[in-house]
Formats: sequence, structure tokens, C-alpha cells
Amino acid sequence: MMESYEVAIIGGGSAGLAALKQLSNLGKQAILIEAGKQVGTKNISGGILYSKKPRNGRVHNVEDVYPEFLQDAPIERKITQYMLHSTSRNKVFTLNLTAAHEYQANFGYSVLLNRLTAWFAKQAGESAEKQGGGIVSGVHVKSLSWPGEKTVIETDELDPFEAKAVIAADGVNSEVAAMTGARTKFTPEQLYQGVKVIVKLPEEIIEERFGVGTDEGAAHLFAGDVTLNHIGGGFAYTNRDTLSVGAVYHYDSLMTRPTEPSTLVNALLKNPMVAEFVKDEVAVKMEINKDLPKEEQLRVRFATSKLIKTWNELRDAWYSPSGRKRLVEAGKFKTEAEIKSRIDYVQNELTSKYSTRFVTDYVELEYGAKLVPDGKRCAMKKPFHKNVLFIGDAAGRGVFIGPRIEGLNVGIDDAVRAANAVARAIDRNNFGPQYMGEYYSQMIEDSPYTRDMREIDKDYLKIFLDAAKDVPKDIIGQRYGMLFRLMSSGTLRGLAVGFANILGYDKLLPLVESEDTYVQVPVELAEKMGRSMTAMYEPTLPTVAQRVARLKYDDDRASHIKVLNPNSEFMKKMVVLCPTNCYSIEGGEVILQHEACIECGTCAKETEWHHPRGEKGIVYQYG
Amino acid sequence: MSDLNIAVNVKLEPDFSEGNVSYNADGTLNRAETKSILGPHSAVASNAAFYSKVLYGARVAVTTMGPPIADIALQQAQLLSDADELHLYSDRMFAGADTLATAEVLKTGISKVDGKTDIVFSGHRASDGETGQTGPQTAWKLGFTFLGNVIDYYVDMQSRIVRAKRLISLQGFYDVVEEVEAPLPVFIAIDPSYKASFNTVSQRLAFEKYQKEAKGRAQNYKQYLKVFNAQQLGVDPKLVGLPGSPTIVYKVEKIPKAKASRKAEVVEGSSREQLAKVATKIFEVLGGLVIK
Repeated sequence: MMESYEVAIIGGGSAGLAALKQLSNLGKQAILIEAGKQVGTKNISGGILYSKKPRNGRVHNVEDVYPEFLQDAPIERKITQYMLHSTSRNKVFTLNLTAAHEYQANFGYSVLLNRLTAWFAKQAGESAEKQGGGIVSGVHVKSLSWPGEKTVIETDELDPFEAKAVIAADGVNSEVAAMTGARTKFTPEQLYQGVKVIVKLPEEIIEERFGVGTDEGAAHLFAGDVTLNHIGGGFAYTNRDTLSVGAVYHYDSLMTRPTEPSTLVNALLKNPMVAEFVKDEVAVKMEINKDLPKEEQLRVRFATSKLIKTWNELRDAWYSPSGRKRLVEAGKFKTEAEIKSRIDYVQNELTSKYSTRFVTDYVELEYGAKLVPDGKRCAMKKPFHKNVLFIGDAAGRGVFIGPRIEGLNVGIDDAVRAANAVARAIDRNNFGPQYMGEYYSQMIEDSPYTRDMREIDKDYLKIFLDAAKDVPKDIIGQRYGMLFRLMSSGTLRGLAVGFANILGYDKLLPLVESEDTYVQVPVELAEKMGRSMTAMYEPTLPTVAQRVARLKYDDDRASHIKVLNPNSEFMKKMVVLCPTNCYSIEGGEVILQHEACIECGTCAKETEWHHPRGEKGIVYQYG
Repeated sequence: MSDLNIAVNVKLEPDFSEGNVSYNADGTLNRAETKSILGPHSAVASNAAFYSKVLYGARVAVTTMGPPIADIALQQAQLLSDADELHLYSDRMFAGADTLATAEVLKTGISKVDGKTDIVFSGHRASDGETGQTGPQTAWKLGFTFLGNVIDYYVDMQSRIVRAKRLISLQGFYDVVEEVEAPLPVFIAIDPSYKASFNTVSQRLAFEKYQKEAKGRAQNYKQYLKVFNAQQLGVDPKLVGLPGSPTIVYKVEKIPKAKASRKAEVVEGSSREQLAKVATKIFEVLGGLVIK
């Protein structure tokens, strides 16, 4: 006898978990299936999580789903500064877009998804348990079928089971979408490729450097020459004691002129402004003298490593009010000043006895990448198939309009809408597409986010134009003169936006999202109006191999990806575009070594692409 | 009341893992310097008990004989098995016990466990004794059917029958998996290769639930702990400790190390020449073997 459940949610990211929480809040039994060994280990985002209050309509925010969110969740910093920098060589021109960031927003917090998703899972899991449901992790769904009205779900790990409703929250590379045929795989035109590094930086150094208070943070966006002529840009967000530094580019722009993702993030790190953002004091070990006796070499190696570890730990604590307090309260130090003298002592030991050097550089903790669905171009028009509802990235939904970058909040809003539609279906015991799917589809139509994916919001545009009001018209004028004049006038803007919306995003986007906008104009702005910046050092950039070596994997000997045509042009580009260099060319054919795969899906379009089996593959520590 | 009552016999053993173990100059174990933990085979037995908790909602009791600090082993076993009851049999009178005298204490302890015990689990053997006798002897004293080397089991709750798979390894032969069945009660010595698998959604959900419960319980393990001395246990002093032990270890000898006949050459570095040198060596050594 097959086990049967009311609802199965596939995918334990922020959207899937919000659906589980909402269904449990409504008193419905739901189970969530997640492939990662622990929930959160497969999740990565840019990442700012917004809570919004649109003027028209309402959205379901994270704090509506999790009432303890603001008090209890492991969020990083509340973003209070939002800057857009145009770059060219050592010149930077800055626009303050904080007003755009705060537009119709309750808040925007920087987040690291590993720990935040784990928190969501704890909350949602506990609620679900009370309704006889819960989270099943380490399980990979491999097929769905409909022998009757219910969906039979088969996995790599468990006996098949059935569910009356399914919520697909399995991300941008949704296998459920592929299995059901609800949508085709996204094309490069519909996607961005994002690549990110987590940089270690002590808490109070962040606050001083970015001019933000405790718990406050800054977001910096970059366009211009750091893009290496690609459409998109870079970002640097402050977390509590790390920075998220990354680059997001239109995938089709990368296909036109393939550039290694790591090179793109390096271009950003090399920019003098970013280099100064990420810099820190770093201990560099001395090469051990190989002429010393083996035992002595070992002793020196262990002693140096141990002292550097101590130095790092103490220093991190020293630059954090809670860290200092913790050390004193634990009785390890009598006063805070003692911590400082201990750090100095350790540093002195390292310098004098072990020839350790202390240099200015930066420390990278984690490298990651993901595809981002551009909602404007790929949001599913009919986000359901039979009794399966698609939410978040799986449904291709996200709001990405210039500097407005929102994905997590859209997924959470979708999740609540899907959960409500499913709860309604449970009450009537009617899971048919007319009663549940169409209803959900209508709720998605009503979402203010959907509207934002389709129409230009003239109020948002005004904020943007106001911020750019000091920009000389001749720079912009050459290309967008007419448009700019229209937009700058209150009455004409309404008309212009109206006209633009009649034309539709489809026709406008190629004009707006162009190299001109993301590269040429910013470069010109920086050259003409930018201030000069100099970095006091040159960051030591790790190779891809070094970045991969730092990642944690649970290796699966069997590959989850199968190359279909090793001679295709697309696959040849993957040799460059795979963020972890999994592809190479041998004898004219593209070959895959899947071990370093971080499951971004960049190669998914022309491969047989699955997520790895349960518990296998990448294990992000920050995300 | 649960429909299935499980007991697990565990043992506090020296932690032989790297960095934790310490030896005297003569090569014997330095017990004072070596941390003690739940024995690895006891851990496997605890996992096996947890399987019954998840599948059948079994009630689990973990028992051990040892010094007062052996309660640490019980705590660790509780974390693995979500035990409802922990027993420590501790008395100076038990000192010097061999396997038979230990089995006497453990057998008597089973009678003190709440409910009528259906299955007793033990490890394959102890990592510091290696005889593997305590389990079978306890089973014999209890009068329970003994199933050794068990790698998988399942209980038919209706007919009260255990079906188990036993891994039979004989030198020079293929390994054989033998399937046996026996009516409850039984004593199962679990094979080290045992690994529980939870194949349905409901089992996974129960697994999560009990695992969480286990964490909470293990944090407050003293609430579940009952300590018995010889008198409280009601054992016959002639059958426990030294008086109850027919075997005495009178000498331990080191097994002489076989002389290594290998010659090693260390090539350091990662330059092309150095790597080529290693590759050449490998080809030389592999000689006749064909590598393609």
C-alpha cells in the first residue's frame, strides 16, 4: 500500500519552505522533499531579502509567514545605503539610489541563505510536524506520474508515494517543470548567470569602512568597465562579518562573447573601489625551510597554523562587540583590553619566531554561482500543470529591473498564494486544474510582482531619474535624449510610460538592457565625471581550482549530467562558461568531469541535466 | 505501553581514534590518558535499536555495566537510540569480571527494565576485549534465541517473529547472507556493517521526530538514568566480579611487527620533471602490468 499525503512540496529553498509554513499555519498536512542532506546546503542568492508594501494590491512578506523573523532569524544587516557606481579604469561615478531601494519597501536585509534557510526549515518543520507532515531531506525526486487523480512521486531514495497536490519549488533548473512539460528549459535570453564570492571581513571594520551603524549595511552596485563589456553588473553587499561580492550578467550576453565567470568576478575585485572594500590584514605563512629536520618542520608548520588560527579568531572577536563580550564573560580574558594585548602578542610571536608576514589582502571564504530567471522574460504564463503548482525560480519569477533586484521575496509571495490555493482545494477535496490550478494562476496574475514583471512603474522610474538629475544630458542625450526629456517631465513621463507599456517590455528590453546602458554610458560617466580611486594593494585572486578546493562536496561517483552532443557550439562555450571548469575539450570533443559541479545549471540547456541524488553534490556553507 | 520492548547492552571503551588514544612505553594502553567513549560496536547496536523506534515505535532501554563514568556511554547511546530508560550497573563487586560474570549482571539487569523485553541488542564485540562472548553468553543466560552477525532485521508485529539477515564470512569462501527467522524474544548481536535504511516518507518523518527527541533527551540524560549496585540488582555475589569469572587474563603479549620490505623514495614538488620522475617510477614498478 503506497503512502499518501495531501501535499508534497518539492524543493526546500525559501519558497518551498514558505509554502510548507503557510500550509501548516492553515492547519493542512504537507511534506517537503529536499535533495540536500541538510536544508539550506544547496541554496545561494545574491542576496538581499526584501519586504514590500506596494501601493496597489498586497504581497505576502517573509515576516507574515514567519512572525518571529525580525526578532529571531539569522539575518545579516538591514541595508540602509544603496549605491550605483559607474566605473572606468580608476574612475568611479556614484549615484545614490537609496530612495529606489526603499521604494515601497518595509525593509531589505542582506542574507546568507545557508543559515537563513536552515532557520526557515526549523520554523516550517516544527509547524508541519504538528499537522502530521514535515521535511524529508536527502531525497531527490526523479519522476512524477498520474495513474489516477493523485500524483505518484518517485525518488532515488524512497519507496514511491502519492500526493493530491504538488508544489514545485525546485528552483530555476526545475526538474518538475521538465518532467511535466509545463515549460521548456529556459533559454539564455531568459536568464542571468550570477557568480559570487563570500569575503571575510570583521564586523566593526565593515561598519567603519561602509559608514554604517551596528546591524546596518550597505549595498553597492557596479556598471561600466568592470562588466568586461557584458550586460549586467557587479554587486557588493555587507553581511554581519562577511561581504557578498558578485557579478550578474545576461546569459545571452555571455554566450555572445564567452568570459569565464571567475574572470568576471575577478574584474570586479580588481576595481580599486571594490579592492579597498574587501581588503583586510592577512597573515602569510613563511615557506618552511626544507633543510630542517622533518620533526622540526612539522613543529613549525603546526605551531604557525595554530597561532594564525588563534590570531584570526581573537581578531574577529575583537572587532565585534558581542565577540569581545563573549570572551570576557567566558572568563577567558579579564578585560577587553587584554584581548587586544593577546592579539598583539600572538602577532609578535608569529612575526619574530615563525617569520609570518602580515600583509594587506583579502580573504575569500566561498565561491558559488547560480542562474537567475529574468521574470520579465520567462515568468510562466500558466504556472501550473494538472495538480502541480510552480513557485519562485521554478516558475521563472523574479523582478529584475535595472537596480531593482528581487527574487527571494517574489518566491515567498508565490508560495503563500500556492499554499492558499492548495488549502482551498483540500477543503473542497477538488484538486482539478480548473479549481486549483486556474485559481492559483489568477492569484499570481493579481500579484503586484507580476505587474512589475510586465509594466514599467513610472513612480519607480521617477526616483531613478531624480537620482540621476545631475548627470549631464549630453552623455545620456546622445543616445536617449528624446526618451530622457520625456521622462524628466512630470506630465510627459506619464504619457511616455503609457506609450512604452503599450509597446510592451518585449520590444523595449533590447533597447534598455543593452551594452549602451550597462557599459558605454557608465564608462563615459565615470570618465567625465568620476572621481579617481586608487587601491593601496593588489588583491591576490585565487584560481578556479583554488576556489573549488575550498568548497565542500559529497561526491557522487555517478554523474548527474549527461552531455548530449559533445560537438555542439553551445557545449564548446560551456568550457568557458562553467563556473567551476567542469568542461574541457579533448580531441575536439567536449568532455565533462562532474565532480566540481556546483549545480548552477549553466549547461542545462543542451545536456541531460538532473540535480544529484539525495545528499550528494555541493554543500554550501554560506550560500 | 509499547508493543515492542528493546534493550541494548553497551560498553564504555577507550577511544582508539587518532589523537585520543595514548600508550604506555611498553605498548600497553594508558587508560588514564585515554578518553573513554561509547564503543563503536555499541554505537551500531544503538542504531539498530533506533530502527525499531522509528519503524515500530519501540520502547528502548540502554544498559551497561561499568564504573560511574560509564554514564557517558549511556548518554551517547541515548543520543543515537532515543532511549526511554538508561541503566548503569556499577559496583566495586563487579570489578575484574570476565565475559561470563558480565553476562550475569547484564542478564539480571534486563529483568529490571520496564516491560517484558522482546529484543536485546549488543555490539559485535568490544574494541578493548575483542572476545565477542558477552553477547552470546547473556543470550544463553536469558534463554533468548541468539542471532549473531545480523546486518538487517525486521519484526512481524502480528506474528511476533523476527526475520534477520546474517552475514557469514568464512576465510577462503564467498560471503554468505543467511536469512533466518525466530520468535521473540531474541538476542541480536549486530554486525559492524549494519546500516539502517528508512525507505518511506513516514519513516523519514518519524526518524526526524525521534532524532530531535533524542537530542533533547540526551541533554537531560540523568532524568532517564537509573544506577544499580549489586544489592539493588539482586545478583548472586558468587556469579559476578572476580569470583564469577572462570577466565583470567594472566599475560598479554605484543604481536611482533612484521618487517617491512618496502623501500620508499620521496619526490617533493610539483614541477613537470618531478612528476615525470614519479610517473617513471610507477611504470617501472608496475613493470609487466599493462595500463591503458
